[in-house]
Amino acid sequence: MKDTTLMDSAGSTHDSDQEIIKQLKESGIDRRKSEEQLFNRFAYFIREGISKHALTEDESFNAYSDTILSAIININNSNFEARSSLKTYLYQIFHNKCVDLIRKRTSNKNSVNRSGPVSDGILQMSDNARSIVQKLIDKADWKLLREKLNQLEEKCRQILLLWGDNYSDREIATLVLYKSADVVKTSRLRCLDKLRRLYKVE
Amino acid sequence: MDNLDYIDRYFKSELNSVQAIEFENKISSDPSFAEEVAFYVSAREAALEISINEKKQHFKEIYQKHHRTHSLPLRNIIYYLSAAAVVTGVIFGINIISGSVTPGQMADKYINEHLQTLPVQMNGRMDSLQKGLALYNDAQYADALGTFERIILADTTDYVAKTNAGLSSFRMKEYDTALFYFKRLETYQNLHVNPSLFYQALTLMERNRPGDTDQAKKLLQQIVQQDLDMKETAEAWLKKW
Repeated sequence: MKDTTLMDSAGSTHDSDQEIIKQLKESGIDRRKSEEQLFNRFAYFIREGISKHALTEDESFNAYSDTILSAIININNSNFEARSSLKTYLYQIFHNKCVDLIRKRTSNKNSVNRSGPVSDGILQMSDNARSIVQKLIDKADWKLLREKLNQLEEKCRQILLLWGDNYSDREIATLVLYKSADVVKTSRLRCLDKLRRLYKVE
Repeated sequence: MDNLDYIDRYFKSELNSVQAIEFENKISSDPSFAEEVAFYVSAREAALEISINEKKQHFKEIYQKHHRTHSLPLRNIIYYLSAAAVVTGVIFGINIISGSVTPGQMADKYINEHLQTLPVQMNGRMDSLQKGLALYNDAQYADALGTFERIILADTTDYVAKTNAGLSSFRMKEYDTALFYFKRLETYQNLHVNPSLFYQALTLMERNRPGDTDQAKKLLQQIVQQDLDMKETAEAWLKKW
């Protein structure tokens, strides 16, 4: 695919890339909006997935939304170094996801990738501790855990989802209109404790 | 709770290197502590999964609303239109015979008649509130929500901004956020008009998760019993329920 960003005038693409990256990384309240902007900006990839990779509309949509979601995570974790334009970067991810989908379709494999940024958190542990925790995580009943999380009182659920989505306590306080990050932290740990009790009862 | 705080501080890198080593040693020596650590990590991952799925669903709604191109062959369009006409006719007939409509249909009708646009002051003053309302009326709900949320940040007691933030979220089909704002309106006891419960019921009718319509019905009954705002509409809906 030709990178038309090279032809854009006066570095405007670079500027808007920088702006969207800054919003995705820094601002709690505008983050949701910038995620939508990012999605809207390159949504025409979906049509390319249909025409160039012969995917169905659903498949192409899934490849594209997975692309955006993993890009958001990478940008947040500063794994995107802006060596290429956002468009080039996203198109590479999107292209790989389309190819994966085609392979999966032909080999009928169904892989579930559970290694997100959260379980990456245990990578900092010593080998022994990590292996103990990883074994216990592998035994987790994910379906039940998700069910119990969804059964929590709405505010608790909202706080925990934002926490899972890597929002800081300060950002969560802004979004859920709590007084301070400390109040959020206390509520978040209380909610987590409630979830643990619900999960253990089963 | 104490251990959760300790675990939280480890994952936020708030422990010094000696404390971090102690933490990891405790995982090896204390199986119940190791389980708590595993739970913490699993819970966060489950939260991330749900959050990602919700975002994906939201992206789908945006895509279907703004980007989807309809390229069905003409023969299929005619086929689908004919089928839809038959189904609509059957549903219409059933509704006429039984006199009933679904909660979702009642909610849709109300939204079409009352929530497509919100009143904007005609004095030409363009403060943040008016700007938010103009964005809402222009169907730019995400931007409208951002504007209303900024007003709330500046003044956490602003009832009107909270109502409009709820309505903007509602129009974006972000029902959980809408409910969050509408519930917060309940605390404003001394207002002349406070449709908090009614908007909560409306949101539940649209969200339509298991148990939502029952909950909506209870709220409508509460509105009627306590003679609250929107009582007439609530009564009319309950008769058709």
